Amino acid sequence: MENVFPQASGSQAEALIFRYVPRPGLLKLCIINFLLGLVTFGFYRFWARTNVRRHIWSCTHINGEPLEYTGTGWELFMGFIMVMLFFGLPVAVVYAIIALSQGPESPLLVMLQGIVAFIIYVLWGFAIYRARRYQLSRTQWRGIRGTLVGSAAIYSLLYFGSIMAKGMSLGWATPVMNTVLKEHITNDMRFGDAAFKFRGPAGPLYVPYAICWVLTLVVAVVAMVLIGGFVGSHKDWFDMGSTASESQTAKAAIAIVLLVFAGLLLFSAFTTMLWSVYISAEYRTFAKYTRFDGAPFRLDVSTGSVIWLTLGNLLLALLTLGIAWPFIQQRTVRFVVDRLALEGLVDIDRIRQSTATLDRRGEGLADAFDVGGL
Amino acid sequence: MQIDAIYFDGETARDRPVRLTRMGGNLQIEEDSLPPTSWSIGGLHAIDTPAPGQPFRLTHVSKPGARLVIRDEAFVKDLLAQNKALHGGYGWRHVGQVLGWTAGGIGALMLAGYIALSVLPQQVANLLPQSWRTKAGEQFVQSLVGDSNRCDTPAGRSAMAAMVGTLAEGRPDMPPISVEVYNLPIVNAFAVPGGRIIMTRELLKTADEPSEIAGVLAHELGHVALKHPEAQMVRVAGLEVLMGALGGGSSTMKNAAGLAALLRYSREAESEADAYARETLVAASVDPIGFKHFFEKIQKLEGGSNANSKDGKQSSLSKIGNLFSTHPGTEERIQKIEPLPAGKTPVPVLDAAEWAALKSICGG
Repeated sequence: MENVFPQASGSQAEALIFRYVPRPGLLKLCIINFLLGLVTFGFYRFWARTNVRRHIWSCTHINGEPLEYTGTGWELFMGFIMVMLFFGLPVAVVYAIIALSQGPESPLLVMLQGIVAFIIYVLWGFAIYRARRYQLSRTQWRGIRGTLVGSAAIYSLLYFGSIMAKGMSLGWATPVMNTVLKEHITNDMRFGDAAFKFRGPAGPLYVPYAICWVLTLVVAVVAMVLIGGFVGSHKDWFDMGSTASESQTAKAAIAIVLLVFAGLLLFSAFTTMLWSVYISAEYRTFAKYTRFDGAPFRLDVSTGSVIWLTLGNLLLALLTLGIAWPFIQQRTVRFVVDRLALEGLVDIDRIRQSTATLDRRGEGLADAFDVGGL
Repeated sequence: MQIDAIYFDGETARDRPVRLTRMGGNLQIEEDSLPPTSWSIGGLHAIDTPAPGQPFRLTHVSKPGARLVIRDEAFVKDLLAQNKALHGGYGWRHVGQVLGWTAGGIGALMLAGYIALSVLPQQVANLLPQSWRTKAGEQFVQSLVGDSNRCDTPAGRSAMAAMVGTLAEGRPDMPPISVEVYNLPIVNAFAVPGGRIIMTRELLKTADEPSEIAGVLAHELGHVALKHPEAQMVRVAGLEVLMGALGGGSSTMKNAAGLAALLRYSREAESEADAYARETLVAASVDPIGFKHFFEKIQKLEGGSNANSKDGKQSSLSKIGNLFSTHPGTEERIQKIEPLPAGKTPVPVLDAAEWAALKSICGG
């Protein structure tokens, strides 16, 4: 690769090695965050999230130098306050005025709820983009921070379009739309003045997608036939007519509830595992299409590892009633960092600081909508 | 002592080997190609809490973008001794800060809650136009009585009008009201926004004297005159706004607090309406003992349990104007009802024919 920035000192390209080096202290953070969350009625969550990010970032090493998270709880809190002031409060006031003038059971209230839901859908992508930009701009490595340089509004439209396209195509637009979204946000991504590039077709993703989609359908149909057959062969259970005694009716009700519950549990367990095939393919493919300073990434994610990640996180969340969320985030970050490699050399020394202005507040919308992520 | 360290200037990603020397209260940073810089030790900030075996990362107030990475543990120890703030981590100060902010936040919320639930609703209720109140009243009646029939006979209606007229003798400033009876199998009476009072068939059936119903009517009149249903409606709306503005937090906790607040105000409204009823009955020379008896009768009938809620889980809205909300204090409410003052003779509320017509307004 040609060096376009002549350097006085003899800088040279080097490989990047990603490593997650755990540090003690996350358990203590967990407990403190939980306790302070209780006494502050949940308002400590902005500071809790910040502490956990700072910890996880500092465990993520690239060439021996850790990432640094420079965001503050106050920034997240102010983001939340702004969203409440300009979104939550106006909606509540309009709601109250309609309830008072049109009565508490006016159909206008249902309409308002519909409009709010629509606005949330439209702004969902905006929230994701702004949250990502905030996190990147608060992430430093070797004193250089990242950012997103594009427009959150355009991403928002794209995201809304992708939701519509996925829905209308019964999901079949998913690989294309996900690739387009990834391409858009990755091409906006910078580390200092060095750019990330994403270029690649969605075609290869269609093989795993088709497998998952068709198998899901088959399993759903089989499950329905099985349940239908069961109901058919135990007609007397479900006969609520005059001959049915009270105990029979109760037995049937319990049987139906158990059956539906077990069926749903089995079905969701199966589909979670099945769709890990597609998710792991997306991980691998998207990493391959992403280049930093011309060098492509490689992410060695297998289907089994995605299942283990999802299952482990689910168990952690269930067994600790969600208190262990910092460990879930650590597992998720570690999952990627441990499997990530850059296939090529980068001239790190010539990367300069980003000149993009910093957001003063953080990810209020993302918090309000709970878009997920870290 | 002089040690080697790594320096990032925050402008490029290049790692620059530097030599560090502590000179009194200053840290001297020397690099081959550049003139030495000096950082005051008091202005240093630790990026992470220092931990054994981990490189110590520092920045300085004069150059917040720059990072200094020190691996020499003896040197770090020396720096930590010079500037205690570098130890970082959680301290009692941190906990104190959180608790202080929390206390302040709770205080501010309580103030906002007081304004939204205590000060504003009555004021706003007085400002609501009649058309809004009527519309809301229609919807409340709809949700309270469902599809049960309205009881209406010409004779029953004129009997009710006569009763209202008797009470109006004591209340020249009485607001316009309409009293409706519905064919409901529960003992209850409600006042809804817009000046409508709803009574049930079972309520009329339970009463033995016209003065008992007159007492109930006077109580509901109090709700109407004091705009309690409207105020409660505004209060619920205000609570929604408050909850909306609060956003996150535990929703169960918020709902419980909201319901507690609403119940508190509905209790207050009940005792205000009681006072209004006592005054009205005395002023109109209607024997308040009928009201008292009816209260006691209901208490005995229900065995102290709350039989007002149709299905045991009424919405907070339908608690508006609920006559016999049982809660500690019912005994006290009964005690407060006193007979007519000496020298006042009770007037008959309705004659026998009118009373019979009212009792049979739902037929039978």
